[in-house]
Amino acid sequence: MSSNDKDRFYEGCGREGPIRCIFLSEFHPTAGPKIVCQVPDNYISKDTFESVSVYIIPKAQLQRSMLTVTVLGFKILGFPVRIDDKKYARNAYYFNLCFVCDAWARTVQYESVVRKLSDYLVAMELESSFLSSQQDHSSESARLPKILRQVMQELNSHKMCTLSEGTMTTHLKVVRILQDPPPVSDHHVPIFTESPDLFQAEQWDLTTQKVLPYIDGFNHVAKIAAEADVENNLVKACLQNLVYYGVVSMIHIFQYSNVYATTPKIRRLAEDRRLQEECIRYVARYPRQPPSVRDVFRMFCSMTRGTTVRDLCIRLSPHTLRINERRLVQFGLLEGFIRRIHKFPVGSVEKPDSQSTVPQSFNGLLSMDEYCCQYSLTTHKLEELIDRETNIAVIWK
Amino acid sequence: MEANPISVILVNSDSKGDRLLFRFPYATDPRQHGENCQQIRRRNPYALTVNADLLQSQPAQTSNIQHGRLTGFTDEVLSTLFAVKPELCERKFELKVNDVRFVGHPIQLPASSQSRSSLGGSGSKLDTPSHTILINMVFALHATASHSIVKCYYDLSKRLGVALRHEEKRCAYVTQETKIMVTAHDEFSARQIESNVDGVESAFDIILQRSTLAKQLKGVFQDLIQTGLIRLRINNWLQVSFCLPQKVHQIHFHRKNCIIEPEAIDRCLQSLRPYHGILLLVELSELLESLPPDASPALLRLVQVHSPLKSLQTLSADADLTLAQVFQLTGHLVYWAKATIIYPLCESNVYVIAPDAPTDQSSQLVERFSEQFPGMSLLQTMSEFSLPTSIGQIVSPLSGSQAQNQLTQTVAWMLRHRLLLQLHTYVYFMATSRGLSWSHQEGSVLTGRGEGSFHSTPEEQLSLGPIGTWSGGHARSDSDASSISDDIAMLRAEKQYQLLHHRDQLSQVQPSILNGMGMSPNLDDGSTDGDKGSGLIPEELLADFSEAERVAILKIPAATNSDDLALLAKLHRNGYLRGIHHLEEIMYSENLRRSQLLQLLDKFRDVLVTCETEDPAISIFYSHL
Repeated sequence: MSSNDKDRFYEGCGREGPIRCIFLSEFHPTAGPKIVCQVPDNYISKDTFESVSVYIIPKAQLQRSMLTVTVLGFKILGFPVRIDDKKYARNAYYFNLCFVCDAWARTVQYESVVRKLSDYLVAMELESSFLSSQQDHSSESARLPKILRQVMQELNSHKMCTLSEGTMTTHLKVVRILQDPPPVSDHHVPIFTESPDLFQAEQWDLTTQKVLPYIDGFNHVAKIAAEADVENNLVKACLQNLVYYGVVSMIHIFQYSNVYATTPKIRRLAEDRRLQEECIRYVARYPRQPPSVRDVFRMFCSMTRGTTVRDLCIRLSPHTLRINERRLVQFGLLEGFIRRIHKFPVGSVEKPDSQSTVPQSFNGLLSMDEYCCQYSLTTHKLEELIDRETNIAVIWK
Repeated sequence: MEANPISVILVNSDSKGDRLLFRFPYATDPRQHGENCQQIRRRNPYALTVNADLLQSQPAQTSNIQHGRLTGFTDEVLSTLFAVKPELCERKFELKVNDVRFVGHPIQLPASSQSRSSLGGSGSKLDTPSHTILINMVFALHATASHSIVKCYYDLSKRLGVALRHEEKRCAYVTQETKIMVTAHDEFSARQIESNVDGVESAFDIILQRSTLAKQLKGVFQDLIQTGLIRLRINNWLQVSFCLPQKVHQIHFHRKNCIIEPEAIDRCLQSLRPYHGILLLVELSELLESLPPDASPALLRLVQVHSPLKSLQTLSADADLTLAQVFQLTGHLVYWAKATIIYPLCESNVYVIAPDAPTDQSSQLVERFSEQFPGMSLLQTMSEFSLPTSIGQIVSPLSGSQAQNQLTQTVAWMLRHRLLLQLHTYVYFMATSRGLSWSHQEGSVLTGRGEGSFHSTPEEQLSLGPIGTWSGGHARSDSDASSISDDIAMLRAEKQYQLLHHRDQLSQVQPSILNGMGMSPNLDDGSTDGDKGSGLIPEELLADFSEAERVAILKIPAATNSDDLALLAKLHRNGYLRGIHHLEEIMYSENLRRSQLLQLLDKFRDVLVTCETEDPAISIFYSHL
């Protein structure tokens, strides 16, 4: 391993790694735990196996548990299985199909694959004594090494694999394990993070297919639900699913009264040439006449707390700079150059009026947007109300 | 709470086999047990047992955590798992079973018969030959806990292991404690067989009464959950202290979703500069109390002279410590969540409200603020910083020093609770519509030939020697601000500038020296240019800029002033106009006054873009980033 690799691949780097080896071990009635078949050969040495065999063929309580042990530079994932039957020497057949990865790699994504492959082997064993009948799995004619080799190669290169052996077929797929996406609200606006042409629309379910055409980065969730004629909660579930797969991202409704502020990530735009090109193409008002990098950058940098988009437009006149300010804000939010600044009113009005249709007290937990949504007020009207009251402080954050 | 341990388990293994000595928590709540049974029964009251399903998959175990406790493992299973083979000893042991991750550092202790006999009072003197015993202290964690948390727990297990090994060597402490625990287990099982009733008491209750090690493990477990800080003396002798940074910082800021990884703290400390300052997060008296009696006197000195108004450099002078020492002590204080890093408070600092600051009217902070500052409301005070505001802006010249003092204190309080965030100004040189100039990346062949020739060969660097040291000394006498030797690159850049700057004078005064030092030809060109007269100085100063940039700069009226232009060129050459360094850093490294810099920015505003954001080096403590 070169020094460069050492910097990149250390324990805890959070990267996913390839499968280095797949082996099948069983509990031999006389010899005890042993590796029956391994691809590539001798990746796990006999000594190494002996020192970890207690985690590969464990006690009865741990049968059908997902076990991952990290020792001696290996990470071994296994799913020990026991099949009870009178025909076996000890009335039971114990085996464990294990994946081996590097110690630095993240391996949760393989857990379901290991489990499914084990179940497939169990089924084959029950059907035709596939595992226990072949005494010498390492011989050239044996089926098992071929299967394991195929699984390893195809999972490493394509992340999926289809096995069929006799009448049984199974499909294996490595699924990325991500955190649950945050819930979607009515006032959120979905926006594609990659071009919608890049993925096949047919792969999504029918509801998502109905929703997809309305995602343009400006329509908010409630509006999409109305226009696509799909129930609101279904739309939210669809969108949450799309967020999970990183296809869309959630931003806020664009308003000229919104305030944004730059983040340290803006530096990337100054330094990354490709990002600049992507950016000017995205924010261009006319595709043939892209704006200049400096104008775009200056406009981003002018976004500070207290400056609304309206103020910016008056000051910098993006129209003459050939910048589409709505797309500028979209791009900035997607890349994290800018962050929306929310206003949180706190306090209560001086003379509460229980008949009033406007909020009378603000506890500081909800932003102005949420009050507007809740009481169907315009931002302007709410701001006027708050300006009149001396007891209400507004916190921008 | 991912940082919390689920359980702590002590396993030993010797010639008689492996044994689980102690685990905490051990009590199984009968009520929970009942619930559990019900759940299982309720799972599928009407489901048919389909044969094909049975064939496909028996239900797999998925969880070993129930109500925050470890379930599904008997003591025997755990002891076989953790009594590892000798080849796995003295290294990290990590095992994940379903959703529980076990981490420990198994150690081998040489237990000789001699040490046993020296124990005395044991009655049965064993004449076994010397053999080894294995001790493994394992923490059970949530599998979702981040790698850095796992690493910290591993470190804790290792520390405790090392301490135990020492105590074993010194007075056979482990053998003694093991004996107590094993005896308790035996007594308990004997009693169970005798009376044939399982009372409320378990073997672990007896152990907890008799064994100091078990008591300490219990304490460790409880401290980890409550504070994340551990300070104990193994066998009343060896001190072991440990801090779980993820937990400590979380508790301090009452932010549940904010987990500060030690790696982030390390990164922050690496970008620490002498102009930064520290702000204590706890009261001084509280900090002094929490220090052990043998704490470093340097730390005490530092803490006593500390003030949020002072930079680390000033602190090092005041406490009479080297800067490196101050940096290290700061690192300790930050890691243990006793202090945070700020830019020292001054009038020109610009603050805004932190994005994750709680604005809840009924939050605890509101009360604590009004306790600390009677008659003031936290949210009102916070709202003053809704827009980027400097301290100077709030303090009117008419208000007395007391009001100013009060303000400084409230700002410090809010910084301490991470309600405020400081904004810094970053400057980008963008003379052309293409953005930043690219001479740095696209090779010095096209532009800035002079600069390239300085770096290129070692001989030239050597030949720079005499002048380099001279100019370095010069800078030092200028101000001690730029005398920090750790930033060699910066210093070299400065030397270069001074070399260029003084080139004219030098070439006039000592042309022979210059020639003797083997300057590259293009530098000679420069010096001949210089001879032609002051009118051409701008051209030479602009050598680093591209043609288009030169045109843009010369359009600006201020460019006719060669001093201003020289400063701009210098800042550009040293890479300060690429948005990496904030104004305070530029002021510090180039020894400039703020007004000087602001004037320059104003004069050349057509070719400069400024941007206000937080300093990424110290903003790790705010959870949104």
